[in-house]
Amino acid sequence: MSVVSATGVVKRWGATTALAGATFEVGRGVTGLLGENGAGKTTMLGLVLGLHRPDEGTLRVLDLDPAEAGPEVRQRIGYAPEHEALPPDTKAHDLVRHLAELHGIPPRDAVGRASDALWHVGLGEERFRPVGTMSTGQRQRVKLAAAIAHDPRLLLLDEPTNGLDPVQRDSMLQLVRRIGSEFGIDVVLSSHLLEEVERVADSVVILSGGTVVAAGPLDELRQGDAGLVVDLDGDVEAVAARVRAAGLEVAVDGPRLTVVGDDALAADAVRDAVAAESAGIRRLARRTATLEDVFLAAGG
Amino acid sequence: MSDARIIDQGWRPYDGVRRGQWGAVRSLAWHSTLRALGLRRTFWAKALPIASVAIAYLPAAVFVGIAALVPEEVRGEVDQLNPDYASYYGFITAAIVLFVAAVGPEVLCPDRRNGVLGLYLASPLTRDTYLAAKVLAVLPVLGLVTLGPPLLLLVGYTLTDAGPDGIGGFLLVLLRVVASGVTVSAVYTALSLAAASFTDRRAVASGGIILFLFATHTAIVALVEAADVDQRLYLLNLFVLPFELTTRIYGESHDEAVPLTTASLAAAALAWVLLCGWVVRVRYQRLRVTR
Repeated sequence: MSVVSATGVVKRWGATTALAGATFEVGRGVTGLLGENGAGKTTMLGLVLGLHRPDEGTLRVLDLDPAEAGPEVRQRIGYAPEHEALPPDTKAHDLVRHLAELHGIPPRDAVGRASDALWHVGLGEERFRPVGTMSTGQRQRVKLAAAIAHDPRLLLLDEPTNGLDPVQRDSMLQLVRRIGSEFGIDVVLSSHLLEEVERVADSVVILSGGTVVAAGPLDELRQGDAGLVVDLDGDVEAVAARVRAAGLEVAVDGPRLTVVGDDALAADAVRDAVAAESAGIRRLARRTATLEDVFLAAGG
Repeated sequence: MSDARIIDQGWRPYDGVRRGQWGAVRSLAWHSTLRALGLRRTFWAKALPIASVAIAYLPAAVFVGIAALVPEEVRGEVDQLNPDYASYYGFITAAIVLFVAAVGPEVLCPDRRNGVLGLYLASPLTRDTYLAAKVLAVLPVLGLVTLGPPLLLLVGYTLTDAGPDGIGGFLLVLLRVVASGVTVSAVYTALSLAAASFTDRRAVASGGIILFLFATHTAIVALVEAADVDQRLYLLNLFVLPFELTTRIYGESHDEAVPLTTASLAAAALAWVLLCGWVVRVRYQRLRVTR
């Protein structure tokens, strides 16, 4: 079942085309929305929230049109924006409770849910501190707590690790993964950092220049370029030349040979080339494409 | 004694009722009301609202006290000296202006300055319902100083036998008190929100409101009285217009000071409210929250 379904979505800001016919589906679990700065990620999140209307194309969020049913859609969405969005003189608990109430939770329930949400993001003991006295990492967690306190169906996180140190980033990503897997809340994680999307996402949508250049489950995208990685003893260039002659794509990096293509064909070609050049194999493994490979191959 | 501890309380899904868009409006209006009054905030955030409200109620408390304490034999003379409901606003104009200058900016500016507006508009609120919630917050808060003191005066005078005669008289004055308070609140709510929509800095908006009121008042009075310009210019004077309208609501006429018809004053007040409302709405419709 699709949580978000976009077909040919176009959005222009004056003369600038932010999205130029984006088509993709967001399913259950954690989905990474990847793209360089200016790729159209934040515009897409704004469209999903129903804050803007697409100039062309159709967008369905939780089976509703967000441009027509914005309040209904937003009641079921949690959103943690990239920018600083917290009043410094308000206590974390008061803010989270207030935002839960805005999303329809009755005041009495909102009190308990605010405490729960802050507890889950690791701020149980700090919940009555004014937000302005908190560290960047804590403020990011307050934003996350505010986004989940009303138990949304879909959580939109815009660059949630911005400004965090490596330890805080690690902790935040673990939390995002937990929300997507244990809390039953589907997550769209917008980021320009491949490594963090790769760590937590089940699927990705890669945006570049306002268009979707790749989308789908991460495992499927990674398998797109199968092949082998071989560490050799001997004349690496000669082996590479023979493998190339067999019609396979080869990259040489020191003693390492990366062969792209069908696994069986690659294995046969490497075996024959190594035997012909009397080279030794120190290590041979299946090539695992990283998200960076996928991103670069997709033209990201 | 058990050693059991709760290590992870688990996520609790919510399957209760959700209150929808109007629940969000109520919640934001209440939150903004508390904010405007400085409640659940530091002492300094409470200082100005408390001072303004105290200044607005103090004269009423004094007049009621005088009415209650003076001996029966001089009551008639004291009643002559005590102000009536319409002229009471003359004693508290400064408190009202101060409060107006503080409340609108306090309610609107920080949301844009802190970026919280982005979170609000990611909730069931739309730009229009967000503004409706802000109006619902500012209007009654201003009513604290525009409606509350004359109401205190009415109740106090009535309890000390200095009030209107009979139930009919009481209800008529009550109606006038409410109408006057709502009129002054409505005009100044619109003005303060319009001013606050132009900047995300509270101090700038507050200063702008005070400057606008005093500068236009001074200029208009000078133009009408010294340069003999058309007296309809008073319709642009928001320092005078709402209060002059209240005197007409009480059935009194200050024709010598502002020789304009009650209908033209009411139309001007309505036009100001609509104009300011339109300005705020346009400003917020054009505001970029995410892009």
